[in-house]
Amino acid sequence: MFKKFDESENISSTNQLKSSVQRQIRNKIIEQMPEIEPFLADIWPKKENAKIIKCHDHIEILSISEECQFFKQRDGPWFPTIKLLHKYPCILPKQQVDRGAIKFVLSGANIMCPGLTSKGAKLDEDCKLNQVIALYAEDKTHALAIGLMKMTPQDIIKVNKGIGIETVHYLNDGLWHLRAVR
Amino acid sequence: MSDGEASCEVADPQESVPSKETPAISYPVKVLYCPECSLPLEYCEFMPDAVQQRCRAWREKNQDLLSQEGVDIAALNLDDSDSANKKRQKRGGRGNVKAKQKKEPDVVKLARIPRGKRKFVTRVTGLATFDINLKKASKLFAQKFSCGSSVSGDDEIIIQGDVTDDLIDLILETWNEIDEDHIEDLGEVKR
Repeated sequence: MFKKFDESENISSTNQLKSSVQRQIRNKIIEQMPEIEPFLADIWPKKENAKIIKCHDHIEILSISEECQFFKQRDGPWFPTIKLLHKYPCILPKQQVDRGAIKFVLSGANIMCPGLTSKGAKLDEDCKLNQVIALYAEDKTHALAIGLMKMTPQDIIKVNKGIGIETVHYLNDGLWHLRAVR
Repeated sequence: MSDGEASCEVADPQESVPSKETPAISYPVKVLYCPECSLPLEYCEFMPDAVQQRCRAWREKNQDLLSQEGVDIAALNLDDSDSANKKRQKRGGRGNVKAKQKKEPDVVKLARIPRGKRKFVTRVTGLATFDINLKKASKLFAQKFSCGSSVSGDDEIIIQGDVTDDLIDLILETWNEIDEDHIEDLGEVKR
């Protein structure tokens, strides 16, 4: 989604959010990621100004105190940015890929099933279809991407072919390099 | 695929299992990012070679800081030993990706543009290359020179009136990172 993303080209406008809209978004995020609730007050203090950055392709980025924290596309789920995920790793369920996959993920590839079923990988079988997940890598402590389950874990094991997780946002992509937008 | 590198990275096994969260962690977790490639330190090794070299240089320089922060340097593949298995491109992938070209040296350019017979505007370009907020800069110019000033392009501020001389002083005074050598006065330029 953010493979080619540039501050000067892909952003169309930034808006101050109404407090009622903020409340809506807040509830939605909590509903979607219940684990975030104890931290949300730190991430998003009540008084803090939230801005929505509208980008091309119907992407909206939520920026809190000048830092991008969440984003979504169309009416899809809210994703945290990787920087936020690094700070609060427990807010999303985790999947792990093997070492060979890291290179490709860092250039934006989707996660193929074999990368999730091989020896270095760990597949969390409790995930549901279309769930937002944090992607980790063998031997690494920090997340390297955020993705969306495109197959159920059971299918991934059974079929072991094709795209298992769609990479939405990864280290070193356009959103990662997006600096604070005013 | 990982045989060669696995031996140089013996991180303790618990760390490598992300699903086992130690309860003692206080949030937010502090993650160290490499200032050269902006990734967490452990991912430097996946950058193109040219960038990696800079990462490595930075780490060598800042070893004290790293050990202070409790980073296990040995676990970061700091050494050059894996360059041997880098030479041959592995199956798939893009092989050695070329590093980004270095930016050209930053220069702030001032130009005086005539408006009619005896009026001028001053154009400032290049401020954004110093990571300066153009909107704030233009506001400052407007206040100091009591004149109109606007951000008129990607990296361009137009100030009404001929303020080149005062502007040089003001820029030097306001932003320490800009040196006298960085400013170029183009003189009178046709629009």
